[in-house]
Amino acid sequence: MNWSILLAQATVNGLIIGLLYLLMAVGFTLVFGVMRTVNFAHGEFYMLGTFGAYFLTTQAHLPFLAAVAVTFLAAVAAGAILEMGILKPFRRDELNGMIVTIGLGIVLQNLALMFFGPDPLSIPAIAKGAFRLGKIVIPNSRIYVVVFALIVLALLYAFLRHSRPGRALRAVVEDFEIASIQGIRARIYYPLGFGIGVGLAAVAGALMAPLFSVSAFSGATPLLKAFIVVVLGGLGSIPGAVVAALSLGVVESYASLMIGGSAADMLIFIIVITMLVFRPRGLLGKGEA
Amino acid sequence: MSQTQLLASPSTGMPAGMRILGGALVAVIVIAPWFSGSFVQHLAILACLNVIAVAGLSLISRSGQLSFGHAAFVAIGAFVSVLAERHLGLGLWLSGLLGILAAALIAGLLGGVILRLKGVYFVLVTFAFGELTRLALLDWSSVTGGANGLTKITPISLFGLTLDTRPKFYALALVVVLLLIAALRAAFKRPLGHAIDSVAENPALAESTGLSVFRIQLLSFVLGCALAALSGFMQAHYIGYISPESFNTSVTIGFIIMLVIGGRASVWGPFIGALVLTPLPELFRGAVQTQYVLYGAALILIMRFLPGGLASLRHRFAASKETRQ
Repeated sequence: MNWSILLAQATVNGLIIGLLYLLMAVGFTLVFGVMRTVNFAHGEFYMLGTFGAYFLTTQAHLPFLAAVAVTFLAAVAAGAILEMGILKPFRRDELNGMIVTIGLGIVLQNLALMFFGPDPLSIPAIAKGAFRLGKIVIPNSRIYVVVFALIVLALLYAFLRHSRPGRALRAVVEDFEIASIQGIRARIYYPLGFGIGVGLAAVAGALMAPLFSVSAFSGATPLLKAFIVVVLGGLGSIPGAVVAALSLGVVESYASLMIGGSAADMLIFIIVITMLVFRPRGLLGKGEA
Repeated sequence: MSQTQLLASPSTGMPAGMRILGGALVAVIVIAPWFSGSFVQHLAILACLNVIAVAGLSLISRSGQLSFGHAAFVAIGAFVSVLAERHLGLGLWLSGLLGILAAALIAGLLGGVILRLKGVYFVLVTFAFGELTRLALLDWSSVTGGANGLTKITPISLFGLTLDTRPKFYALALVVVLLLIAALRAAFKRPLGHAIDSVAENPALAESTGLSVFRIQLLSFVLGCALAALSGFMQAHYIGYISPESFNTSVTIGFIIMLVIGGRASVWGPFIGALVLTPLPELFRGAVQTQYVLYGAALILIMRFLPGGLASLRHRFAASKETRQ
């Protein structure tokens, strides 16, 4: 095995992981854009998404794609209800809203532990075999996940770009007051924005469930990655999140190849701190600061 | 909210009888551990250590910033003091002082750079710093012991008296807590305390009246982190063991929960928060999840209905009594 194949393989692996970070981060940054609050419960919706996919495929025997779709819709509805029931008084209240989402995350995680137990579950792989491109090997199950993730992102793009509610949502993210002046009923878009944001986290969880384990503790790492991505990309910036998520995936993949996992983790936190201090608007400079 | 607080500030709104009652209650609570079992004493000591760390967090919070890396400074205080004692041959108190100074110095350097960030950006950068510190301590295992941590830390001795039993250590921890609360009470009645509060209330106004928002926030951050380090130093010598994993982000979140539930705008907030929440895990033994669900729900309910925390209850009580009269 020579160096260039290793690098190519690392690049492909990194892009795949980066795509999944992107699903997490897009929802996270959307919620920040609408609510102006860092959603500390975001990882728990990922976790609930893995359980959604698990129960719908193994207990209800739904096909995988249908399970993902049902999980998404349920998460959007749950998110919207939680927003209206709990987060409503804390809209655009950065610090207090954040503390409330910490409480929400703790409640969700421990309810999941009470109902589903601490032992990790697993879903059978959705595809067997592997795809070979030259000497690079990609397991087919990963290719499925990548294709589904791309479809979700394309649908999100079409929704935000071309549909009326999507455009209104973007307007609210861009400038809440001007959007209100233009007749956009912002109060609808808080629950909608939060619902779609956490729905994306749940989709990420549902898609990842066959690759990783299904467990009540699985939300912490995706939340951490979403943090890192949105800081690098700029809070509230979706294009920034795209660039940052894919870069993070590839950099992590290279770094663990060359300098080892723990040093790579530290390096990433140093980059995050440097970025926040010197360029809080993010890589593309479109996030708000 | 600020109006009711003005109406019912402790010196004017509280009837003398209630103040005496409150004082007596506090006295009973702090004296009780000496007449209880060893386990209650253990909880009382942990509560004291938490009060010290949470008081540090409250100083930072009152200047308008929320630190998400507070546990890292507890870790710095613990590790630097223990390592200084072991490798530099410094005495106990000198090494403790060094741990606190190291935390203050790091907080000063870090704060000088990151305090220009506001709101969630400050939260995120302190969170990243906390994780970085934990990873660095884990990785540097030749010095810090890595995940195994450092063991066999000697107990504190004071004037030739070794504080190796719980009642003795509790006496020290309690004295530190009472001195700390007295100092904070005094500080927040003086211009410095008012300056800290006003910087959080309205930074632009504070700046235009000649206060330097940056310098006041830096001072609060440095002092707050120094208190965290003090708590870490004492914890290391009480438990006799420290590990990087005992200072992770969930510890910081625990401090934040204590602060919010106790009360962010009151000197008594950290005391009440630590007092209520430290023994809670023992009530829920075998039902840890129920306990955490209650933590989360309490956090949400307090934020919604009692943003001043439990410490503001007495003001509410006094205020409602006043309106009835």
